[in-house]
Amino acid sequence: MQQRSVIISNRLGLHARAAARLVRRASQFNSTVELCREDTGETADGKSILSVLLLAAARGTSLIIKTDGNDEQRAVDALAELVEQKFEEELSDGVF
Amino acid sequence: MASSSVTRSRDVKLQGVPASPGIAVGRVLRLDERGRHQFYYIGVSVAQARMEVRRLREGLQEARTQLQEIKVRLAKELGYEHSFILDAHLLMLEDKRFIEELEHEIRARRVNAEWAVRSVADRAIAAYKQVNDPYLRERTSDLEDVATRLLTILSGHDKFDLSKLDQDVIIVAKNIWPSTVAELDFKHVLGFATNTGGLTSHSAIIARSLGIPAVVGLHDVTRLAKTGSTIVIDGAEGCVILRPTKSVLTSYLGKQKREADRRTRTTSDTTQPAETIDGTRITLRANVELLTEIESLGLFGAEGIGLYRSEFLFLNRLPDLPGEDEQYEIYRKLARDTGESGANIRVFDLGGDKLTLGGFEAEQNPALGLRAIRLSLKVEHIFRTQLRAILRANLHGHLRVVLPLISTITELREAKRIIADVKQEMAEARVEHNADLPLGVMIEVPAAAMMGDVFAREADFLSVGTNDLIQYILAVDRANENVAHLYQPLHPAILRTIADLVRVSKAEKVPLEVCGEMAADPLQAIALIGLGIRILSLVPGSIPLVKNAIRSVELERVRSLMKEGLKLTSSAEVEELLARELPRQAPRFFQAWSSRTL
Repeated sequence: MQQRSVIISNRLGLHARAAARLVRRASQFNSTVELCREDTGETADGKSILSVLLLAAARGTSLIIKTDGNDEQRAVDALAELVEQKFEEELSDGVF
Repeated sequence: MASSSVTRSRDVKLQGVPASPGIAVGRVLRLDERGRHQFYYIGVSVAQARMEVRRLREGLQEARTQLQEIKVRLAKELGYEHSFILDAHLLMLEDKRFIEELEHEIRARRVNAEWAVRSVADRAIAAYKQVNDPYLRERTSDLEDVATRLLTILSGHDKFDLSKLDQDVIIVAKNIWPSTVAELDFKHVLGFATNTGGLTSHSAIIARSLGIPAVVGLHDVTRLAKTGSTIVIDGAEGCVILRPTKSVLTSYLGKQKREADRRTRTTSDTTQPAETIDGTRITLRANVELLTEIESLGLFGAEGIGLYRSEFLFLNRLPDLPGEDEQYEIYRKLARDTGESGANIRVFDLGGDKLTLGGFEAEQNPALGLRAIRLSLKVEHIFRTQLRAILRANLHGHLRVVLPLISTITELREAKRIIADVKQEMAEARVEHNADLPLGVMIEVPAAAMMGDVFAREADFLSVGTNDLIQYILAVDRANENVAHLYQPLHPAILRTIADLVRVSKAEKVPLEVCGEMAADPLQAIALIGLGIRILSLVPGSIPLVKNAIRSVELERVRSLMKEGLKLTSSAEVEELLARELPRQAPRFFQAWSSRTL
């Protein structure tokens, strides 16, 4: 198993579009993906948008990404990068 | 009873939040009449539960098909960036956990599919409402939207087909889901009025981009407005009038007509040149972000592209950078479609508040950090790839390159060295390209403005980016509401800086352009022309308006006006001068314009 701690830093937090990006990316890997809020201990299935949305991670929330499977390293890298790059959304701020 | 007197009395005015300007008068179509679903609890047997699961799966499939169609339509009508809202909805309908939970609800609690959808969605929405973040809390609308669609399909009612309206209507609803807006037959929708929602809700944004008047946050408009009754929407004031009396109706129809007149008087025939009364020609170019905008340039009468923000190629792309061939195709389209007028391609302006590349740390102060040309010179391979693509595409037209956020001459020299190197490499490798590629410098940093003469001697042209220049000269972040009032485009410091640049560009015989929002505001654009600017680049939609402002003024008179303006001491004094004098000098345009804005 691999795990990495990240902080949600995009302005709008883990809202629907950001969650959609995360779930799409997570679903590209064989490994299971679990997200865990460091403050409350709540967990979510990274491949389920509803589950991810229910984490309701606003800006500043600290999450642990846990991946388990044959591509766990690539999965954790890709997902941490997506969070760190603010879900590639800042560019389109103002559009939505 | 108070409420019955309200429902009967005339001229009932409800105040809401202005979401999209304009006046609409028409008949109400209340949407909650289809949105209210007849669903109820039915206990089912084990065998029936299997049937319900199958029905649920068919419903999910139908919902996915509908959303796919809406997504395609939305992308076509509004551009692909608007269609992303629906991605989250589609993912929910594919969400294994959501589907498992729905099926579990049916099997374990032996209920009908509708009841399962409602209860699972309600639980999720309730959990979401607990969130301590107002933005996220508002996102329950995505969940509700998906649930409503599923319920409509499952309850089997013939759906009210909003894409086939046969008469003009004003839509009144509790809330208008983004997917509903996308389904609407825009030709027949005169306006929107909703109970909930704020300025930034998706539906408000879509209404604004369609130019349809809208008022949101009206609390109980759905209770008070009946389908078929007459309603007035004033999108600028943020109010609606129910059951208007004849006199009120007449006054609003008059106001509507005056607005339409003002639009025709303040916009212009695109075939007319942008020329002042005394015959000075002004070049109006377009600022472009998305390729789809290029097609509309002719429509707005733009003479080429003054600013192509190439970083938009990165939209939704990272971590994959667009490759040389992909960039080439886009730049070739820019070159071909702009012909003789040509296009300025601004080198990737990344970093800062925009978008960061992997491998770089988040910065304390991104506006002053590693961004734009600073980043390009650091990740040279990305810069080189872009240059190769531009040089190849330049065979098909007249491209120019602009360097963003230049602050020292060494950056310009370094960029020139890299460009020369890339050209040489391409020549040696016999890659076909056109090396005649003018190089411009964006004047956005005060240091570059002060050293304008130096840059004018070493660059082929200068382009003033007013948004950043104002931010850096006045040290104001206009997105910060506490200081936004200090963001003053007409501050004498800005005017003096621009006047200096005009002097320098004349002395060195180097073209000077202005891009940025100042160029899109008729009053500020005329101020720029009075200062001696002859090339403006602005959002395509504002070109007809600015062109008409230009056609209404005499250059000599605005020049002496700005001479006076340069002596003033504050932005307020300059604004007052222009607001007083322009309607006198150019009544045809500025009287119509100022009655609204000044």
